[in-house]
Amino acid sequence: MKTTKNFYLARPVSGHLAPALTDSPIRGHRNAKIAVWNSADHAVPSGTFCCRHSGPLSEECSLPRSRTLGPVTERNALKSPNGQDFNRVLQATRTFHTEQPHLAPVPPLPEYGGKVRHGLIPEEFFQYLYPKTGVTGPYVLGTGLILYALSKEIYVITGETITGLAVIGLYIFGVKKFGPSVAAFADKLNEQKLAQLEEAKQASIKQIQDAVDMEKAQQALVQKRHYLFDVQRNNIALALEVTYRERLHRVYKEVKNRLDYHISVQNMMRRKEQEHMINWVEKHVVQSISAQQVLNIFDVLTLYLYL
Amino acid sequence: MNQNLFASFNIPAILGIPLVILIIMLPATFITPTNNLINNRFSSLQQWLIQLMLKQMMITHSTKGRTWSLMLMALITFIALNNLLGLTPYAFTPTTQLSMNLGMAIPLWAATVLMGLRFKTKLALAHFLPQGTPVPLIPMLIIIETISLFIQPVALAVRLTANITAGHLLMHLLGDTTLTLMSIYLSSSTITIIIIILLITLELGVALIQAYVFTLLVSLYLHDNS
Repeated sequence: MKTTKNFYLARPVSGHLAPALTDSPIRGHRNAKIAVWNSADHAVPSGTFCCRHSGPLSEECSLPRSRTLGPVTERNALKSPNGQDFNRVLQATRTFHTEQPHLAPVPPLPEYGGKVRHGLIPEEFFQYLYPKTGVTGPYVLGTGLILYALSKEIYVITGETITGLAVIGLYIFGVKKFGPSVAAFADKLNEQKLAQLEEAKQASIKQIQDAVDMEKAQQALVQKRHYLFDVQRNNIALALEVTYRERLHRVYKEVKNRLDYHISVQNMMRRKEQEHMINWVEKHVVQSISAQQVLNIFDVLTLYLYL
Repeated sequence: MNQNLFASFNIPAILGIPLVILIIMLPATFITPTNNLINNRFSSLQQWLIQLMLKQMMITHSTKGRTWSLMLMALITFIALNNLLGLTPYAFTPTTQLSMNLGMAIPLWAATVLMGLRFKTKLALAHFLPQGTPVPLIPMLIIIETISLFIQPVALAVRLTANITAGHLLMHLLGDTTLTLMSIYLSSSTITIIIIILLITLELGVALIQAYVFTLLVSLYLHDNS
């Protein structure tokens, strides 16, 4: 019994995620390391689908499944020949040579269909007959065939013919009248889907752009932060200065207060001494004026009056 | 000229091999599923139509009833496409055969009834007696409701068959009339041609409406019994 070696190609989701996931610089499809999964480790009976016996989620199943399901045990570790661990690749692996080959990858479908004349006959037919019979060749052929069928009663004109002509006439009328609007509607449907996705993309881009701009603005603000500190420093210096001057003023006032007290005390003493002296002089002068002297003074005064 | 008027309803056969299976399978080839997000116009329109029908029809159902979505959408698409394709000249319409319509109606109706009887027996049996009936009428009313219940599948099938067959028959008749009149009295054949055109327009409507009615009634039975 030949044990088949299944070759698995691990396909990372996107190029820039691959090194993060697999710790290896994977540059592209061509250079991706091919993981060899030795089927001797897994005991798959050749020629049978193991899932039939054990179910798709069991350990023995060799059909591809997403490697993010289930625990990563040593037994089903998927290692490349260079020892890289492919267990954290996001997409399921593609198997080769287990069945008839598909014609994959399928080439993309053409955007528009082939050209048709009169809605029925491909343009290639007219081009095919053109070298031999010119422009009117296919039309002459068609007319001849129709007339032949009619005259030989290969095609019999019955009531069905009339109904058929009416149906086809109605159909052509409908297509000519409503065709463009229906086509525009279908285009609009597709456009709406694309617009939704485009909207999501633009919103995401805008969000990121806004974040970048905000970050830049904040960085610029950080550059200007020293102005704030200078202002704060100045404020504090001013406050300190004001406090100092206030205290100086208070000290000055207190000292002046005390000195004023001494001065006023001196002034008061001097005033009191003056008054006391004046009172003493007055008292003694008044005391010294006797009665005789009062009469003598009156004599002198009358003398002066007669002079 | 056909042998009789109903010859166009015979099952087409080649050398005795009936082709009806191929004819019934043909409309399915017009529905093209794709895996792309953006398709060509044809596929986009199909997708949009099916979404429209789905939303219209399944919105009144509970979660359990919505498991029938695929069945009902396939049903309406099948019947509509069959009816529309039958309008083309020389086409055979499978929905004119009572056998096929009974084959569609009876299993679907029976499924809804049995589902209702199994999961909500009391509620299903309660449908036989409308609310607020006077007591003396009850026995008669139950018999009448039972008869009306058993007539539902037959009505579904016969309705579809009769409508489509009648339309096709009229078209054949008028076509034959026009042909015969063309050699006798030309201008009245123009009148009949106009009548044919109007009839075809009607037939288009009938084709779509019958499909809709069929599916709607099945969904109604489902709603009653889900």
